[in-house]
Amino acid sequence: MSEPAVELPSGLDQAFGAVAGELGQATTAWLFVRAVARCAGDGGVASLAERAGPEYPVLDAVARGWLAGLRKQTLDPLPVLAAIGKANRLVVVGMEATPLDALMERLDPAVKVAMITHSPFPVDWDRVLDNYAGRIERVDLDTFQNWAGGKSALLTFAYGHGDTRTVVPPLWLRACGADVRAQFRALVAWNVLEAPLQLYPRWLVEIDADSFTHFVS
Amino acid sequence: MPLAQAILPALLVVTLVLQAAWPRYRLLIVMGGAASSCLATSLLGLGHAAQILADVPWDVLVILVGLGLVSEVFVESRVFGVLAMRACRWSGADPRKISLLFAVGMYSHGGLVNNLTALLLILPMLLGLYKLVGVTQRYVTWSIGLLLVACNLGGAATPIGDFPAVLLLGQGKMGFTAYLVRALPATLVGLVVIVTLIVYGVRPERGLSKSPVSAAITVDTMTALYRNVRVDRRMLVPAAVALGAMIVAWMTLPADKGWTPELICWIGAGAALLVRPSLGERLIRRKVDVEAVLFLLGLFVMVVAVRRSGVFGGVARALVGLPIPPIAQLVVFVIAAGLLTALFSAGPSMASLLEVADALARVHPPNAVYVGLALGVCAGSSLFTTAATSGPLAQALTERADLRDSEGRPLRFGFMEFLPVGVLSFLVIEAVAIGYCLLCVHYGW
Repeated sequence: MSEPAVELPSGLDQAFGAVAGELGQATTAWLFVRAVARCAGDGGVASLAERAGPEYPVLDAVARGWLAGLRKQTLDPLPVLAAIGKANRLVVVGMEATPLDALMERLDPAVKVAMITHSPFPVDWDRVLDNYAGRIERVDLDTFQNWAGGKSALLTFAYGHGDTRTVVPPLWLRACGADVRAQFRALVAWNVLEAPLQLYPRWLVEIDADSFTHFVS
Repeated sequence: MPLAQAILPALLVVTLVLQAAWPRYRLLIVMGGAASSCLATSLLGLGHAAQILADVPWDVLVILVGLGLVSEVFVESRVFGVLAMRACRWSGADPRKISLLFAVGMYSHGGLVNNLTALLLILPMLLGLYKLVGVTQRYVTWSIGLLLVACNLGGAATPIGDFPAVLLLGQGKMGFTAYLVRALPATLVGLVVIVTLIVYGVRPERGLSKSPVSAAITVDTMTALYRNVRVDRRMLVPAAVALGAMIVAWMTLPADKGWTPELICWIGAGAALLVRPSLGERLIRRKVDVEAVLFLLGLFVMVVAVRRSGVFGGVARALVGLPIPPIAQLVVFVIAAGLLTALFSAGPSMASLLEVADALARVHPPNAVYVGLALGVCAGSSLFTTAATSGPLAQALTERADLRDSEGRPLRFGFMEFLPVGVLSFLVIEAVAIGYCLLCVHYGW
């Protein structure tokens, strides 16, 4: 944080909350950090982390990573594809637009994909799914188990990885109870943050990384 | 007859007041009022329910349902979302340009598709945009207010935009082209004056911080939200062709040879839905606005009952008999239409006043009377948020969006917030309506 903080317009935290559900917290954080850096430099990014970071720890992590020199989001869908393996049905729990777009580009078109449409943030789910041109179906917490089976996988996004713990959307705990775990071939977490969160994981929940069959960093 | 002339109008007025006071029970109240009117006409010897129902203008209901379904096909094509995103990019997220572009867009949409459908689509996007830009109470009040007024003006601009104009078309009071060439320029004048007064006079964006950071985040975010969303041309093109063919048919085919407006709409909407049968069936089953249809059906029944009592004829005779010049009678009528609409909303006012307009049209140029009436109703719809269904809808959507200013204070859009916009718009649209009538009478249009 070598750059001095600069004054940013107020209300950016409200703006972040307005789209974090639809694009995903990490995707939105990268979008905000890039835009602020373009207009207000690293000082602006430092201000953004100070102002909106406590409310949105993923934004804080991305901004601090940016200031530490991490200027590009590195996402490789190939290990995720390997973790999904021969599953022909995939249920996505949580939303991260950039990683999911990258995965969908490479995923075999024969694999059926569904998303559990639930978020603590306001989301226009029709618009979310319109971006995938009919490739992703909509399911909810009551119906996603219809997708269970020996060739089905559950995928969520993780936000940083400590020694043994990671952070995921709370929806994962609601969806993946003891009853559900045995019904899916693979339980995959895809880590979309380089470093673990430094702040209390508001909007997220901490769990053991080994509770997944595959943890992709 | 004097008893009927007291009871039936009283039933209509009481029903309208009750539904305005308790909008939660609107349908129950209006359907109850309609049943009571039928009972009263039976007991008073003015006709049984079957005769009252036979007088209901079903053609208007067919047009409303048909156009509503065509609107839904446009919605499914995602054209509105993509246009909103492009408007955001074109404006560079500048709050003034956003107000201007969305007002013009809303006017255009309002003229072609159902007002409520247009508002339901556009307003949530706009509110999302406001969260990104960061807005003030002043901006919310004037920009959403302008959007509602533009929506009303768009609805009055074409014969298929909103119920009052559809009623004129469906009842054969005016042909498609005759209405369009008169109402479109008049409403455009109204729009230009109101937009100029609000965007360049009031300047809703005053007090907003003009930060390049907000603009960059807004444009980048909107682009990301619609990154892969494409207009479904297989849905858009047939719907646009069907609507275009309907408009050409309305303008050219002779109604007296059986090519009535409702038949053209019925066939056109059917053709648009048949292109994708599974979608068409789903839209018919789920997207017909049953609430609006039942509300209007109830109103029509009550208005037919009142007409049978002879009250409307009496009002028209009283208006024509006023000891003022004939042109002043027309002005009084247009102002009364605006005020009644503000109190009772567009549907009831238009349905009732059309009976009076018919009488006035015998002594004044009919086009002046009917378009003047439609403009007066448009002015009244724009006075209060409660005067048109789009007002409460905008209020509910704004509340649901939980907008806040930079200090975290909640931003509202309700009756009192809209009032200054409403008064300004009412005065401008009434002035346009009166000016239009004066010109019509003077030049004999």
